[in-house]
Amino acid sequence: MKKIKWTFMTLAIVLGIGGAFATAPRLPQDCQAATQYYYNGNYVLAGRLGIDYICVTPSAQVCTYYKVGSTYTPCMNGSYCTANCKTGNPAPKKAKN
Amino acid sequence: MNKQRVALEAIAALLILLFLYASVSKMLDFDRFIGEMNNQPFPNSWTPFLVWTVPSLEIAIALALMFERARMAALIASLVLMTLFTLYTGSVLLHFFSYIPCSCGGVIRKLSWPQHLVFNLFFVALSIIGIILQRKKFFTPIIINQKTFA
Repeated sequence: MKKIKWTFMTLAIVLGIGGAFATAPRLPQDCQAATQYYYNGNYVLAGRLGIDYICVTPSAQVCTYYKVGSTYTPCMNGSYCTANCKTGNPAPKKAKN
Repeated sequence: MNKQRVALEAIAALLILLFLYASVSKMLDFDRFIGEMNNQPFPNSWTPFLVWTVPSLEIAIALALMFERARMAALIASLVLMTLFTLYTGSVLLHFFSYIPCSCGGVIRKLSWPQHLVFNLFFVALSIIGIILQRKKFFTPIIINQKTFA
C-alpha cells in the first residue's frame, strides 16, 4: 500500500511542478518588467497592467509588446482591454489614490 | 477495502497535482497574477494579502494531503477552497459581477467560465469522496457478536 501511495504522490508532485514549469511563459522573465506597448496601427504605451489595462485571455492575439533594441517583440498574450473598453470585456479598475 | 484505499490515494494525488500546479504557475507568472487579482471585484487593497494567501494556502493543502495525520484536515480545507472557487465561478456565470478575468495559474486560465465551473465541481466532488473514504478508513465497523464475549 505504501508503495502505491508514494508512487501516486511522486507522480502528483512531479507532474504538478513540472507541468507548471512546462506551461509557464517562455518569454524572457523580464519582458513584463520592461515598458509595455500595444499595437493599434502604431505602437503605443500600454500603461500599468491591472490598473490601466488588462490582457483578456483566452485569446490568440498579442496583447502587449516590449522593445528589444528598436524592435517590438511580443510579450503578453490576450486581447488588450482598457478602462474605455466597450467590448463587454472587463474594465480595469482605476487606481485609488 | 483495498480498492477504497487506492481510490483515496488517487484522489489525494489528484488534489496535490491540482494545488501544486495552480500555486507554482501563479508564482512563475506573478506579475500577471497581481494584475488579474487587481481586476477581481474586491478592493485593490486586498491584493497584497490575496496574492500571497491563495498560493500559500494551496501549497499548504498539497503538503498536508501527503501526510496521513493531516489528510482529513487537508481534504476539508480542499473542499472549502474549491467550494469557494465554485461559488465565485457560479457568481460570474450568473452575471453577479461584470466579466472578470480568470486568476488561475497556467493552462487552467485558458478554460472558459462554464468549463471552469465543471472543472471546479469535479474537484469539489473528489474532495467529498475523499472525506467519505478517509472517514471509512478510520471508522471501520467492528462486528460484535456472542463469539466476541465467549
